[in-house]
Amino acid sequence: MMRTVVVGAVLVLLAVLAGALYRQWRRTESLQAQLDAAAAELQDLQEACSRLAPAGVVQRLIADGVKLGTEAVAERKVVTALFADLVGYTALSERLEPTVLARVLNGYFQRMSDAIHEHRGHVSTFLGDGILAYFGALQPNPWQCNDAVRAALAMRAAISKYNVELAREGLPALAVGIGIHRGPGLAGLIGSRERMEYAFVGRTVNLAARVQALTRSHKVDILVTEALRAELDTRFVLTPMPAEAVKGIAEPVVTYAVRERLGSGGA
Amino acid sequence: MAHALQHVAWEPCLIEPRPDRALQAYARRRRGMPSPAIGYFAPVPWLARALVDLHSQYGLLMHLDQNVADLVALVVSQENSCRFCYAAVRALLWAEGMSRARIQHVEQELTRADLPPQAVAAIAFGRSQSRSGPPGARAARDALHRAGVGADEMKEIAFAVASTDFSNRAHTIPAIPARPIEQIPDRLHMRLLRPLIGRILKNHRSRGRATPLDRVPSYPYARLVTAYAGSPIAPALARTLEEMWASPHLTRRCKLLMLAVVARGLACQVCALEVGEALQREGLKEAVLTQVLTHLDAPELDPVERLLVPFARETIWYEPAPMQRRARALRDRLTGPQLLEAIGVAALANGLCRMGAMVLDYP
Repeated sequence: MMRTVVVGAVLVLLAVLAGALYRQWRRTESLQAQLDAAAAELQDLQEACSRLAPAGVVQRLIADGVKLGTEAVAERKVVTALFADLVGYTALSERLEPTVLARVLNGYFQRMSDAIHEHRGHVSTFLGDGILAYFGALQPNPWQCNDAVRAALAMRAAISKYNVELAREGLPALAVGIGIHRGPGLAGLIGSRERMEYAFVGRTVNLAARVQALTRSHKVDILVTEALRAELDTRFVLTPMPAEAVKGIAEPVVTYAVRERLGSGGA
Repeated sequence: MAHALQHVAWEPCLIEPRPDRALQAYARRRRGMPSPAIGYFAPVPWLARALVDLHSQYGLLMHLDQNVADLVALVVSQENSCRFCYAAVRALLWAEGMSRARIQHVEQELTRADLPPQAVAAIAFGRSQSRSGPPGARAARDALHRAGVGADEMKEIAFAVASTDFSNRAHTIPAIPARPIEQIPDRLHMRLLRPLIGRILKNHRSRGRATPLDRVPSYPYARLVTAYAGSPIAPALARTLEEMWASPHLTRRCKLLMLAVVARGLACQVCALEVGEALQREGLKEAVLTQVLTHLDAPELDPVERLLVPFARETIWYEPAPMQRRARALRDRLTGPQLLEAIGVAALANGLCRMGAMVLDYP
């Protein structure tokens, strides 16, 4: 009798112990799953951040434990800025239904972004119907000027192709003006505590935007500045434009219209 | 086993493997295991051998902790999005006993608290060199100094990063299939054999022993080889370079031009100077070199050079699938060995420049 009680007690004890172990194991598993989920979320977040700012900047923020808004993360760089804008957007926006307009614009942005990305550019921001892109901002790129102008030519070709598609749907053709300039500036995470973005700040961006505006008065689609021309491959066929005064710049700005690029190969 | 690179697009392989018993035996002798990819590189023996020889896991490191070198290889492969190398290092770590959770934590940088500061600094260095290249070398070197890493150890970290950069490009550009390696930890028989495989791999790992450099080489990058004199890295590097220069598929000038483009793209001043001098000795005028380096083309280049000079530039910063498509476009215009040698030269140039910036540019 006594033996049965002891055996029973031992069995009960073992069962309790097994139950406790099982519960502990389940708990560990659950904690591990939570940890994995948190880690996966962190990874996703890091990848999402990499799309908003250069991976190096994101990495530095994480590695250094930088709290946004408390420390500046920026450096001086020479970058090529490309500014593109739709010609006649206001008239277009008045003619088209909002849903159609949004579809046309999305198609335009996608094609322009692809052309820029294909030539190692980085689209910084969409400003209304405008696009601001940089070459050489994220990684060192000694061929940034050639890349930017090749991207502009690819954008020209892409818009022609897109216009064929739009014409098939009875939609009006798009035209784009592109200004490109190369110069120094400050690249980094810039903004308020609530909202920050990776940006390139300086006269270079302003001048690229002003040069883009000159495409209207010169009646051309791609204009580059003298500073950019000096770095360009001679196979780009350029036409000098009359110097023109632009807002915020003391001297009249000399620009060149880009016609085409002869031959293949090279940067 | 899910991993961080499974979303990375990877094109079908560009080249056919060619069984080569001698090479396979060579790899087995060095590593204890057959190399799953060596057959792809068989048409260009120097490249196949270099991928075995310039491996920080087998007898080349005298100062750096082997586990740290492995972690560096893992994060650099992750940064370079090389699915093949990344899966290979993961499989190696797994076979040698590291848990999947631990591997994931390393990838996700959750190990900062439980790794020594030197290891954390070495991993950070690997990441930064992959992202910013030589321009970030000085800051990366300072960070290693602050973490208490000595000069010899630092050189070995630079080698571990550079050899991984080389291997990553050599496997990524031709899109060597990664799937079979990625699946290793999921296969039942591999799981059962894991302790045995781990033991064999560990037995073939060895610490490097001081090795004299028989003679100072005279070809470009000789300074880099000399900087490692006394270490087994120096003769391994010297042999690779000698065989690369002697290989007949591309001209010496073409190889030098590719090296010069990568040196310029990565802003490695010492490498650019050394390669520039060698090109002038080859008879290339300075004006032509300037034209090539500024615009990646010149009328004086021959047709193969005109293809490979811009290609070399593509290998500096890249995304795997677009890079693989560009290499595929070259396949129709070059012979198989020419394409493979071009991949090898570009891959080696990327590794050498990153190493040069760390070891030579900032003495």
